[in-house]
Amino acid sequence: MATRVHDSVLQTLALIQRRATEPQQVIQLARAQERELRSWLFGGRAPGSMDERGLTLAAGIRLIQQEVEAQHGVAVEAVTVGDCDLDDDLGALLAAAREATVNAVKWSGAEVVSIFAEVEPARVSVFVRDRGRGFDPAAVPGDRKGLAESVHARMARRGGSSAVRSVQGEGTEVSLTMPRALGTRQPSRA
Amino acid sequence: MSKPGAGTGAGGRPRVFFVDDHALFRSGVRSELGDQVEVVGEADDVEPAIALIAECVPDVVLLDVHLPGGGGQAVVTAIKDSYPQVRFLALSASDAPEDVIATIRAGARGYVTKTISGPGLVDAVRRVAAGDAVFSPMLAGFVLDAFAVLPPESAHRPAFDPELDQLTPREREVLRLIARGYTYKEIARELYLSVKTVESHVSSVLRKLQLSTRHQLTRWATERRLN
Repeated sequence: MATRVHDSVLQTLALIQRRATEPQQVIQLARAQERELRSWLFGGRAPGSMDERGLTLAAGIRLIQQEVEAQHGVAVEAVTVGDCDLDDDLGALLAAAREATVNAVKWSGAEVVSIFAEVEPARVSVFVRDRGRGFDPAAVPGDRKGLAESVHARMARRGGSSAVRSVQGEGTEVSLTMPRALGTRQPSRA
Repeated sequence: MSKPGAGTGAGGRPRVFFVDDHALFRSGVRSELGDQVEVVGEADDVEPAIALIAECVPDVVLLDVHLPGGGGQAVVTAIKDSYPQVRFLALSASDAPEDVIATIRAGARGYVTKTISGPGLVDAVRRVAAGDAVFSPMLAGFVLDAFAVLPPESAHRPAFDPELDQLTPREREVLRLIARGYTYKEIARELYLSVKTVESHVSSVLRKLQLSTRHQLTRWATERRLN
């Protein structure tokens, strides 16, 4: 599968070089490739492919860290404890973690956002924390509340849970917990 | 609490010696530390550091774990027996865990990354000067990983010491919160403990990290580097 993905990326890069003088086309090519990569990475498998090893949880967290840093220019620190292969539930957990991280980077005003992820036998937890301006989750409608709701829905659909703790002037922490499905509790690589 | 060597600088400021091979980084940190500490000396490599630290006997040595003449642990090893009052705080740009673990096991009382804020570094220096331990979120994560569930065969090894080779549930809780970026004060509030108790849990983890013979500690650090 890695070969498939590499081929696809190489082809896109070749096309981009040939169309370097047509910015609109280049942007479209890059976007399409980005979407494809993303669905592979966060869906845990390549489009149309059902097999083989996908990304592990720790690798997914590192990817969020690198992408968000690159796209938003705010430092993201990530600490992970343990690791396991991804399934659909954990893919949803990563998507929620990414959303929480992007949101913190965009709105908190903090210089650094920290992610901590821990894989335990029965569950995987992710905490996204910033020491930014904070907000009142109960009183503030708008973007931040939208985030809390969409993250919550994403987690709840898969049997997970989420919580947002925020203090104005002190920062925000989003906690995400996903139970691990039976039968996938052993990491395939030690 | 008055401890030998602590608070001997003017106005009770810790006397700090700084070992790092990048002059630019040294001057950056010096200006961040400002007048909160007294910088009594600097060195850019293992040999000059050992000579100068013995001369000025600082409270805290801020020690880069990577130096041209070897790892920072060489400095700790050379100094600690003759000058037990000198405390070491490891400072690193990379997260190569085997170097960090080696420096801690040589006797450093803490580890912070070079991305730490100025006030964060001042706080870490003060803690180490007072004899406490300082873990960065990254180090807390390392320790949780290295002291993870024991493989069954370890329990039968004669070298296994449950006092040193396992973390208590409370120590795990404290490390998790450090890994999440909580300060000692915030951890105390979260777990309904005093800051003093949090400090003593962290010191106990440091002791285990220094004395445990768990082979996972070294094996794990080596494996991690490959990632």
